[in-house]
Amino acid sequence: MPLEKFPYHDTIGIASFLGRGFMNPVDVRFDSTGLMFVLSRSNASNKNVRVSAVTLDAEFQYEFATWGTDPGKTTQPTALAFDSQDRLYVSDEHMHNVSVFDREGNFIERWGEFGSQPGQFNRPSGLAVDSDDNVLVMDHLNARIQKMTPDGRYISSFGSAGGGPGEFNFAWGIFVDSGGDIWAADWRNDRIQRFTADGEFVSMFGSSGTGDGEFDRPSGVHVDERGRVYVADWRNDRVQVFDNDGGHVETLVGDATLSKWCQEFIDVNPEQAGWRENAGLFEQEKRFWRPSAIETNSDGLVLIADACRHRIQIYSKVNEPTLV
Amino acid sequence: MDVELMAQLLRRAGFGTTRDQIDKYLQQGYEATVEELLNPVHREPEDQDLMDRYFVASVEARSPGHADPQWAWRLATNPNPLEEKIALFWHGLMAVGGVKLDHGLEMLTEIELFRRFGLGRFEDLLLEISRNPGMMYWLDNQNSHSGAPNENYGRELLELFSMGIDENGEGAYSEDDVKAAARAFTGWASEVTPPPFFLGPFPMVFRFNPDDHDDSEKTFLGQTGNWNGDDIVRIISEQRATARFVAMRLYDYFVSDTPNDEEIERLSDVFEENDGEIRAVLRAIFNSDHFKSEDVRYRKMKSPSDLVFGTVRLVDRFDLPELDSGTLANNTLFMGQHLLNPPSVEGWHEGEEWVDSGALIERINFASAEVSRTDGRGVQRMLARVRDAGDELDGAEFVEACLDAMGSIDVSPRTRSILIDHANGHGTPWETDASDSTDRAVEMFQLIVSTPDYQYC
Repeated sequence: MPLEKFPYHDTIGIASFLGRGFMNPVDVRFDSTGLMFVLSRSNASNKNVRVSAVTLDAEFQYEFATWGTDPGKTTQPTALAFDSQDRLYVSDEHMHNVSVFDREGNFIERWGEFGSQPGQFNRPSGLAVDSDDNVLVMDHLNARIQKMTPDGRYISSFGSAGGGPGEFNFAWGIFVDSGGDIWAADWRNDRIQRFTADGEFVSMFGSSGTGDGEFDRPSGVHVDERGRVYVADWRNDRVQVFDNDGGHVETLVGDATLSKWCQEFIDVNPEQAGWRENAGLFEQEKRFWRPSAIETNSDGLVLIADACRHRIQIYSKVNEPTLV
Repeated sequence: MDVELMAQLLRRAGFGTTRDQIDKYLQQGYEATVEELLNPVHREPEDQDLMDRYFVASVEARSPGHADPQWAWRLATNPNPLEEKIALFWHGLMAVGGVKLDHGLEMLTEIELFRRFGLGRFEDLLLEISRNPGMMYWLDNQNSHSGAPNENYGRELLELFSMGIDENGEGAYSEDDVKAAARAFTGWASEVTPPPFFLGPFPMVFRFNPDDHDDSEKTFLGQTGNWNGDDIVRIISEQRATARFVAMRLYDYFVSDTPNDEEIERLSDVFEENDGEIRAVLRAIFNSDHFKSEDVRYRKMKSPSDLVFGTVRLVDRFDLPELDSGTLANNTLFMGQHLLNPPSVEGWHEGEEWVDSGALIERINFASAEVSRTDGRGVQRMLARVRDAGDELDGAEFVEACLDAMGSIDVSPRTRSILIDHANGHGTPWETDASDSTDRAVEMFQLIVSTPDYQYC
C-alpha cells in the first residue's frame, strides 16, 4: 500500500512576487529550530529571487537574499544549505559564488569567483554541509564537487566531466548522509552517484527513461535518517523514493491541496474562485511541476520544492520499516 | 560562387551569419543551402533541458515576459534559422498579443505551432491556428455561440490572416461572408483554465462544442453547405485572393519593402500550383533572378529582431543560456518590437517605420556594444579574419577586411569612403603586430554597425 508509506500531509505556498509566497522555489531547508527556508529562483526579468523564512504552520517570517549583485544579494540562486551553527549558504550560478547568512538573514560574507582553479567556480549549483561543517559545492560546469571551509577556503575536490563512474554531466543537487557519504544528482547523466566522504566512488543507480528507477534529469537527492533516498525526478515531474541500495520503493507525483495561503486568496477573490471551479482541473492542480529539491525532518516530514507550482508539498512517513 | 548573394540569403532566410558559416554554405552551393533552410528537421532542441533549468520560470511562463528567454534563446541559436524567421513572420501576421492573452506558456505554444506548420500548406496552418486556444481567446471566439455568433475571428481570419483588403478597405469577400464564417466557427473555443494568480498558469486546451455550434446551412464565398470552421478554412485556401495575399506578405517580409506586382503574381501562381505550400513559394523566391539581383539587395529595413539576433549570432558569445541571454528580448522591445506582444491584431508594420531617432540610437548602442565583446567567439573569429587579410593594411584594405569578416557586409560608396577616411585618420596603416590592432579593428566593427547601411538587410 504505497500511500501508507508516504501519505500526503500539507502544502505551503502561493505564487507571489514578494513577501508571503514563493516564485519558482528550487530548494528548501530547515534550520536547527525547525524553521523552513525556501529559495525562490524567479526569472531574469522579474527579479523576484529571495530566501523566505516560513514556519511549518505557514506563518511567513521574513525574506532576504533578494535580487542584486551587491553583498547580501543574489541573481540566479540555486541551492541552500545550513551548517551546525545555523549559517545559511546560498549558491549563485550567475555570480559564481556562495553567500553566507545567519538564520535571521543577516549577510555574513560571500566567497568564490569565476574560474576553474581550486576554489573558483563555474556555475555552482547544489550545496551540502558535512559533519565538520565543511561546505560541499557542486561546481557543475567544472564537473566537480569542491569541499570548502565555512569561510570559503579550498580543501579538496573530486570529479570530472563525462559519463563514467565519478564523472559528472551538468550535475545539480548534492547531499551528505548521516554516515558522511556524498550523494549527487548527476543531472544530464540521468543517475544518482554515491561517494565516500573522501570522494571515492561507491555506487550509482538510474538510467534515462520514465519507468521505475529511471530518470529524466534528476535535480535533487536527499537521504533521510533511515537511509531512504529521495530523488527529484525533475523532467518526469515526480519524486522517486529508493532504499539505500537504489531499489525502487515508491513514486510520488504530487497530491497538493490548496495551501492555507491559496485558500485565503480564493476566499477574498470570489471571481477567481468561480473561475477555478469552472475550470475544474483539480487533479491537475495536485501534481508536481518540476520538483527540484527534497528536505526531511526528524518528525517524519518530507518536503518537496514544487518549482513551477510555487509551493512546498509535504508528505509524512508513517509505518515505514527501518532499513538499516 | 557569389559570397554576397549567399550572405543575403542568410540575412533574409535567417538573421545573418558569420563569415565562417557563409564559407560552409558556399561549399555546398546556393540551391543546396536553400533546400537545407527550407527543410529543417524539427525536433526538440538538444539544449531545451538546459534552457528550462536556467530559466525555470519560463517553463511555466505566466506572461510574455516570462516566456521571452525561451524564444530569444532560439532566435539567437537555432541552427535552422528559417524555423525562427518563419515563426516570427506568422507571429506578426496572425498576431496574438500578450497584453490581452497574458499567457506566456500558450504564446510559446503558438510559436512552436508556427515552427512546425509555418513552411507547410497554408490550409493546414490556418486550421491549426483556428484550433489554437490562445487565438480563440484573443479574438473572442469563446464568446461566439450558436444563435449569437461573435464576428471577430471570422472577420480577422478573412481580412488579416488570409484574403486581405485593398487600400480602399475592400476585400474579395462580403459582410455576409464574414457573418457566415462567424457562424461556422461557433463552438470553437478554449477550455477554461484556472486563474494563474496562485498556482501559475495551466496549459490552454482547444475544445469544439458541437452543442454550441451553428450547424445550419451557410453560403460562404459563393459555396453553400452546412459549413463548419474547417470548411471555411478550406474554401479560403482555394481563393486566388488568398494566394495573392500570402504571396504579397511573403514578398514584403523576405524580399523587399517595395512591392513588385509582377513578382507577387508569379508567387501567387506558385502558391496555387503547389497546394498552398509555403515552402514552395519561398523556394520560388530564393531561387529567383529577382531575389538574386542587386535591385533588392539591402532594400529591406532590418526589424529589431533582425538587428538584435543577427548581431548576437555574429558575435556568438553564448555557450549556454545565461542571465544576459534571458534579457535579449528587452532590446527588441527598446527598439519597438515587443516579442510575444504585437501592438494589435494587425501585427507589426515592416519597413522604415521601424526606425525613428530613438530606435536608431538603441540599435546603434546595442550593436556597437555587442561587436566590442572580444570575449565572443564570433568577434575573435572576425579579428582573426582581419589579421589573415594581411600583416599591414591600408585604409581601404582594412575597411574591406572588416566588412568581409563581419559576414560579407556591403556598404554604399559614400559610407565606404567615410570609413576609409576614418581608418586613414590614424596616420599609419593597420598592422597585425601593432599594440592597437585589436582596438582599431573593434573600433571599425563599431563604426560599421553604426552606419545606415547596417540597418538594412
